[in-house]
Parts: sequence; C-alpha cells; structure tokens
Amino acid sequence: MIEQFLTNGIIAGSVYALIALGFTIIYRTVKFFHFAHGVVYTAGAYLAYTFCILLGVNLIISLLFAAILAGIIGIAIDKLVYFPLRTQKAPNLVFLVASFGVFIFIQNLIQLIYGAQVLTVNTSPATEGYNIFGAFITGVQILILAVCCLLLIILWLFFQKTKAGKAMRAVADDPTAASIVGIYPEKIIFLSFAIGSALAGAAGILISLETNIVPTMGLDAVLKGIIASIIGGIGSVPGAMLGGFLLGIVENLGIMIIPAGWKDTITFAILIIFLLFRPSGILGKKVDEERL
Amino acid sequence: MDYLLSILIIAGIYIILTMSLNLIVGYTGLLSLGHVAFFSVGAYTSSLLALNYGLSPWIGLIVGACFAALLGVVVSFPALRVKGDYLAIATFGFAMIAYSISNNWVSVTRGPLGLPGIPTFSIFDFYLSETWSYLLLVIFFVFLTYFIIRRIVNSPFGRILNGIREDEIATLAMGKDVNRQKILVFVISAFFAGIAGSLYAHYITFIDPSSFTVMESIIILLMVVFGGMGSLSGSFVGASTLVIFPEVLSFLNVPTPIAAPLRQMIYGLLLVILMLKRPQGILGKYKFR
Repeated sequence: MIEQFLTNGIIAGSVYALIALGFTIIYRTVKFFHFAHGVVYTAGAYLAYTFCILLGVNLIISLLFAAILAGIIGIAIDKLVYFPLRTQKAPNLVFLVASFGVFIFIQNLIQLIYGAQVLTVNTSPATEGYNIFGAFITGVQILILAVCCLLLIILWLFFQKTKAGKAMRAVADDPTAASIVGIYPEKIIFLSFAIGSALAGAAGILISLETNIVPTMGLDAVLKGIIASIIGGIGSVPGAMLGGFLLGIVENLGIMIIPAGWKDTITFAILIIFLLFRPSGILGKKVDEERL
Repeated sequence: MDYLLSILIIAGIYIILTMSLNLIVGYTGLLSLGHVAFFSVGAYTSSLLALNYGLSPWIGLIVGACFAALLGVVVSFPALRVKGDYLAIATFGFAMIAYSISNNWVSVTRGPLGLPGIPTFSIFDFYLSETWSYLLLVIFFVFLTYFIIRRIVNSPFGRILNGIREDEIATLAMGKDVNRQKILVFVISAFFAGIAGSLYAHYITFIDPSSFTVMESIIILLMVVFGGMGSLSGSFVGASTLVIFPEVLSFLNVPTPIAAPLRQMIYGLLLVILMLKRPQGILGKYKFR
C-alpha cells in the first residue's frame, strides 16, 4: 500500500517540481511573486486541448506548440504588465497585486472561451498500466515522470554549462554587478519568463493527459508551486525541485492517515510552519533579512 | 425594487469587509489575503448557533465576531515573522485552510451541501424579513463600523499603525510594541469581518463553502485598492462601485455563463490598470511600500 502512495506522491511531486522550477526561475531574476504563473499552467493545459482535441493535431506536435505558446503568454504578461511597472520602480506588493489581476483576467478569459465545465484531453484508457515495485502505474504517469526528469536535467545543464544560463545565474545573484559586466537585464528577464512559463505550460500539458482540466486549476497549481519553492528555499533551483517532490510525497503519504479532502489543509499548514520557523527553506542559503 | 435594495445590502456588507481590510492593508501596510477566513468564520459560527442551538442571531453575531477575532490572533502570527509578499502568501494559506475546513468538516458544516434555512434577525417580535428592514440593519452596522474604525485610525493607536507602515524599525525605536499592535489590528479587523459574515449569512439564509473561496479575498483587496488605501470614504466608494457596477451586466440581459466570467475579467483588468496607473486607488493617500 505504501508503495502506491509513494509512487503517486513522486508523480504529483514531479509536476509540482516543474511548476516550482518555473516559478523560481522567474523569481530569481525579477524578485517578486509571479502569481499569474498558475494561469500560464492552465493556459498550457487548454492549449493542449485545443490542438489535440479541437484541431486534431498529432499529440507530440500539439504538446510542443502548447509549451511554446505558454512561453509566449508568459513573455506577453511581462511586457504588458510587469515591464511598465519595472520602469516605474514599483514595490513588490504592486507587482503581486497586478499579478493577481492578470491571474483573474486570464482565468476568466479561458472560462469565457471554453466554458466552466470539465474537459478531457486524455486519449488512452487509465486501466492499462504496469506493476512496478508493488505499485500500479499507468503509461501516462510514466510519460509524466520521464518528461519531468528530462526537463529537469536539461535545465540543470542549461544553468551550469551554457553562457545564457550562467548570465541568468549572475543576474539572480547580483543584478547590478551583472549589468556592469555587460549582461543586459531586460534580456535575462525575457529569457526567464520564456523558460519559466514554458515550464508551467509543460506542467499543465502533462497534467491534462492525466486528469480532467477546469479553468480554475491554476490557483491550486501556483500555490503548490510557491509552497514547494518556499519549502525548498526560495530562489534556489535545486530547492524548488526538492520542495516539489517533497510536497508531493508528504501530501500523498498524508492521505494514508487522514481523508483525502484534508490534503490542502496539510499543505498550507506545512507552508505556515515553514514561514514561521524557517522562512529560508531547506536549501535556502542566505536569509535575505531585507526581503523577509 | 427589492432587487435594488438587495444589491444595496450586499454592497453594505462589502463596505464593512472593505473598511476592516483597509485597516490592515491601507493603514498598517500589511498585505493580508486571509480576510475571507474571518468572513467565513463569522458566517458559519452565527448560522450554526442559530440552527443547532436556536440562539438569536444577535448572540450569533457577537459570538461569530469574537470567534473571527480569535482567528485574527492566529492569522497575525506570520505578520510578526515575515512581511511583504511572504506575508501575503501566508495569509492566503489561512484563507485556503478555512475554506478546506468548511468544505471537509462535514459533520458540522455539512461540507459542500451548505447550511440552508438560516433564520433572520428579529428585534423583539419584529422579524427583519422585509428587504428594506434588513437594509436598515446593515446600514446601522456600516455606520457603526465606520465610526469605530475612524475613531481607531485617528487615535494614538492609529498613529502607531501608520508608523508601522511608514517605517517599522523607527516605530520600534520609539519604544512602541510593534508586534502587539500588529496582533491587535488583525483582531479588530477580523471582528468586523466576522460581523459582516453574520449579516451575510442571516440575509442570504443559505451558506456553503463556495461563497468563501480565496478569490473572495482578492476581490475584497481590489475594493480596498480601488477605493483608496488608507481612506474610509474610499472604502465606501470602492465596495459600492464594484458591487453595483457589475449588476449592469444583468440589466443588459447578458446570459450568466458569459456574465459571470466577464464580471471577473473586469475585476482582473481593473486591478492591473490600477496598479499601473494609480496604485493608491481613487481616494487613497498611501501607496504600497
């Protein structure tokens, strides 16, 4: 029994890790909570639905397109809303509140277009599956896990090996010093929104293969992403991954003991405990007292 | 006519919520998104006391507000430790927990089924079942809240709250117990939100968790920001405009599946435009820091 919950936890965790990673990549460069990240995730799922079901495009191609379009949505949010705020040197809370506005706007735009009812993208039956270490796992779940791991590895290499990745890390550490050595911050912000939003979109797409999609799915996702980032240590890339997997596993092991409806209560209780006793998270290096 | 009056009642309830949140967000400068939790606790406590124990809604109102105030103490704890966007997320967490509890504690709240048949207020033998009489009750509480909060913000305590917003460390250096004042402001604000919750429950006569989602917190925040941060007359303007204006959509005979998301889209757009053009709101004096 415990193997099954553990497996479910790892799969849920891998999706949380993707959302948290996208959130963290954006947070590191712009240093505010991009709450509308959740709605990019929703958009990813609905784009996958549009391509796959409405237009009947091949699954792999439609997933790719959906991820790219999710990245473009992220960039558009940045250019239309955050860029003007940046030029005004607005405080963090203004960014956060504007981000809520973007979230509500796009979520309801999606609801206006597709309706509030539940939609399904999944084409393969959920009964087929494999037995691994005493846990039942479906083909789609294996796909989710594989894509997540692949994306995490690619990003890891991107940050460690490529010039653009190193420039992004430099801006994350010290934007002023980075601009002195000739890294143009706007370019890095652009790149962060593109990559981060594409990741959120990818997470939404993967989830759309596994479960039904509704316009309101983004709220839960972005909150889980933020919580995973805070648990792992905000602004830390390995922290976001660790936090995501940890959150998924704790949630799913938790429902072995208490009814499933209480899952959210556990999650937010964990968040508040972390914020009260260890706001810098597990892997958070320096506690930026100014920010807390 | 009744329709118009009922909109005014809802507007009045939101004015109370907006003024009380303004105390935390506008005057003290702490971004709290947990307001709907207080609203919900007030509504559920008052309804349950009336339904299960047959107590008068007046007692429910007081007890509900006190329970909300107790929750205010708990919600204020993160404010002592973290600030800014971290505080926003932590208080958001409380709103989520409150929603989750009302949805899952089925033996008490009946979960998603909700609580039907909540009795209305009565003054001696006179039941406030007519819309106009309930409106008078709500107006009474709106002005009561207004005068008490105005008294608070103009008092020495209110000046400490302003001090916390402008410069917390300087306020601390002046020998003010910042943490105590933060807890106190959450308690006061929660108390009034609890009253609003009770007024809401006894008016609608049916409550379920869907009335108290976290999005409601953001809408109340929008009302505070739209009307004006740190301005009580702004809260009147913000709440009443944002409650009454979307009703135009129902006059235009827009079908509900379109009107509901459209209304929310207007809210979202408004929030973005406000942040871009006038982050302190129409009548507001203070900006976010």
